[in-house]
Amino acid sequence: MNEQKENLSAEDRVPESSVPESEKGAPCGSEGLNPDRRAFLAGAAGLFGMMAVSSCSWQEFFQQNFQRMTKEELERSVERLRAEYKAKYGKDFVVGAEGPIDGTLFGYALDIQRCIGCRKCVYACVEENNLSRDPQIQYIRVLRFEDGNMDLEKSTIYYDPEEVPEDGHYYIPVQCQHCANPPCTKVCPVQATWTEPDGIVVVDYNWCIGCRYCMAACPYMGRWFNWADPVVPKDKVNTETHYLGNRPRMRNVVEKCTFCIQRVRKGKYPACVEICPVGARKFGNLLDPDSEISWLIRNKRVFRLKEELNTQPNFYYFFAT
Amino acid sequence: MWIDAVRLTCDRIAPPHTDKGESMKGIIHIPRVGPVLVLLALLALVVGCLAGPVGAQSGDKPQEPGKEKRVEFPVPLKPLPKTITPCRACHGPEKDFKILWTRQEALRVHTNVQLKHGEQRVWCLDCHHPKDRNYLLPLSDGKKITFARSYELCGKCHGTIYRDWRRGIHGKRTGNWNGEKKYHLCIHCHDPHSPKFKALAPMPPPRKPRTPREIAKH
Amino acid sequence: MPRSGFVSGALKRLVTGPPVYYTWVALLLIVAGIGIVAYSKQIQAGLVVTGMTSYVSWGLYIGNFTFLVGVAAAAVLLIIPAYLYDFGPIKEVVIVGEALAVSVLIMCMLFVTVDLGRPDRIWHLIPGLGILNVPSSLLSWDILVLNGYLFLNLFIPGYLLYKAYHMKEPSTSFILVFILISIPWAISIHTVTAFIYNGLVARPFWNASILAPRFLASAFCSGPALIILVYEIVRKYTKFEVTDEALFKIAEFICVAMFLNLFLLGCEFFKELYSDTHHLSPMTYLYAGLQGKDALTPWIWIAFAFNVIAFVIFLIPATRKNFATLNLGCVLIVLGIWIEKGIGLIIPGFIPATLGEVWEYVPTSIEILVTLGIWAIGLLVFTLLLKVIIPIETGEFTKGTRAEA
Repeated sequence: MNEQKENLSAEDRVPESSVPESEKGAPCGSEGLNPDRRAFLAGAAGLFGMMAVSSCSWQEFFQQNFQRMTKEELERSVERLRAEYKAKYGKDFVVGAEGPIDGTLFGYALDIQRCIGCRKCVYACVEENNLSRDPQIQYIRVLRFEDGNMDLEKSTIYYDPEEVPEDGHYYIPVQCQHCANPPCTKVCPVQATWTEPDGIVVVDYNWCIGCRYCMAACPYMGRWFNWADPVVPKDKVNTETHYLGNRPRMRNVVEKCTFCIQRVRKGKYPACVEICPVGARKFGNLLDPDSEISWLIRNKRVFRLKEELNTQPNFYYFFAT
Repeated sequence: MWIDAVRLTCDRIAPPHTDKGESMKGIIHIPRVGPVLVLLALLALVVGCLAGPVGAQSGDKPQEPGKEKRVEFPVPLKPLPKTITPCRACHGPEKDFKILWTRQEALRVHTNVQLKHGEQRVWCLDCHHPKDRNYLLPLSDGKKITFARSYELCGKCHGTIYRDWRRGIHGKRTGNWNGEKKYHLCIHCHDPHSPKFKALAPMPPPRKPRTPREIAKH
Repeated sequence: MPRSGFVSGALKRLVTGPPVYYTWVALLLIVAGIGIVAYSKQIQAGLVVTGMTSYVSWGLYIGNFTFLVGVAAAAVLLIIPAYLYDFGPIKEVVIVGEALAVSVLIMCMLFVTVDLGRPDRIWHLIPGLGILNVPSSLLSWDILVLNGYLFLNLFIPGYLLYKAYHMKEPSTSFILVFILISIPWAISIHTVTAFIYNGLVARPFWNASILAPRFLASAFCSGPALIILVYEIVRKYTKFEVTDEALFKIAEFICVAMFLNLFLLGCEFFKELYSDTHHLSPMTYLYAGLQGKDALTPWIWIAFAFNVIAFVIFLIPATRKNFATLNLGCVLIVLGIWIEKGIGLIIPGFIPATLGEVWEYVPTSIEILVTLGIWAIGLLVFTLLLKVIIPIETGEFTKGTRAEA
């Protein structure tokens, strides 16, 4: 905490206008039957304790939701983060905040005929997105089914044979489906998670209060919680990050797959698409009729998981013979 | 020579079906259109030899109905195994061995090649040009196929896969979803002699969540 | 300065009482203290010290919250017979129900707060400062209705007690408006809480229309049962009068509510067992165990037994009007509904997980200690409130009298 304060000059201090009214002056002392008073006082009383443990600066504590930040606020926030990461990892980070590319809506398709269950995608994602190694978080879960059914209760992600693919089984990797009608974004009490214009469902890690309502709402186990401080080895950390994506997170907030927002908004494929050795993963712009994904949807028999829930995932599955 | 061409053509029409590798003298029926086919085959050979250098040029835009915004990039050829000497060292117009038209179990000097492609349906000369071993069999327009464009040959039998590959659905692509991509040729992933993927060892399974008993020790 | 008379009088009443009072308050303070220490450990290490995982991401805290919101709703619903039907015996005792509602609401808010991963960011919920996601998020709605309900439950008794302290008649027409509002509000707090779970398509165990009615039915069992027990204690230790008639009437309401609760449970059983789809799995886990995991099975069957026994006790007039069995019935109902609605509702919603896995949940010692601490705080608030309210109601503590022990 001290190191990052050194990096902040006087101009970086949060201007008066963005300090909430109630924080000016003493937190206690208001009279009257304010229904929020009890909860607020309890929160204020715990404020100092929380901050000491959460190890964040005053400015970071009071920053607004990403969607409401001004450009200057965002720049300041990015600088704070870069300083924090430099102090923690000893490396210079890029914390981008690129907006969506005009006219894009990302779609993803996975060829179940090809997937061999090697889990290379799982670990490519872990490396690219700075996922915690301990406690272990993996956005992608490769489900192994028996031939003849797609019964989730008979599936497993813990298969560990000598070689894959195994006889009599097939594999369906599942991650956040980036639904067009997401059940998770509508339940967040503070709008810490929303759908970006290019279809990516994102989380503002600095705004999330950790209530885990969105995790209860997601039908695809797309969301994960940092029950403890995430641990990313210094030598493996990826310094090319996005504010809404793979920047190193903090404890007790929700995180999820973002279609590698730090890559796709620069035109690159997500890490899982690139690493797949059999080319089972396809990605592109649904609004472009000439893209791979558009052709695929028109010409292959695609389906989506749990279609009856009307979540309208942008993540398709298909069989290419 | 001409009889060889005829046999080659006829093999393609009515492939021999024996797994003994014996010569097929009594079994092949040369149809009545034989002479016409012979003439066509000769023509193809001549045109192929002449057009060889032309056909080897990269950068031809493939014909795709409707739209075509993607450019086909020639990619560096997968390095051949070091044990293989250039084909011309042994095969070529000047010097060559007797062409073996039928399947042989022993691959003579090419002992490093395990041929397991379509079981009995595919054999060396189903892909390799019998006369010019630096090329693969020609297309129906007579152009000999280079190794760099070997996908055109694969596409002859694997048409649906070829179509999917052209559109990016089959096979791995890296790079940019909205720009330059790196394609992989068939032979980058599939060994043409033994194309079936070997099974590989999976990466480790995820850790299971703590069981209540483990948590209770907290 | 009338207020200082009240404040000093109230304070004096809070710190003086019979020995049992001192023992009780001391016990509560100790348990609350232990709870606070345990919570500070949770703050230091993060939620990893709880038994929750990304598979079962809500546990004991939210289970208690759910149960207590039901108690809060039912406490005030006694107002309906009291004021609408002018049922004298209950009218006088409603105020205790409202005090219970206040304490329980505080407990609810504490339970939600300790469950949050980032309680330091709780200000994000305040509209204006942060963002309160209404109308979309049911959790936001719940915060609004719970706070509004807290206000109503502070204001209505506050007004009535103020008038009683000053020995003036309250203006019925003025307060009636608020009382009438509080009736649908009480139903709505529990309906909104039910809707928090009900709207989640990912959890078929909750995504059933029967959930909200079941919530209300079980709330109408547990809340009044607690009130019966509280009234008996209050009338034993103070001059507060509660007629037996009032208690038996409340017991009748409980009987009807428990019948509804059991009937709705039966409906759920039929639908899941007969249709025999994957939606049966959470129920199988709860009542029989799934893939060899059955940590909750003995609990739920005990709860079921308690509920049925209590129903029978309340049904038969002889046992209903016998205080030994009545009290037993009340205790059984509170425990039974706590199990059934608290952990027996929250945990099976997550089992099996959305992609089919079966992972169980067992609370850790820190969770249990924090839970007990919050219960202690709630009971402490309730005790202290009653220590001031009861004397006002009985006329012992008014503007004119000096503070007595």
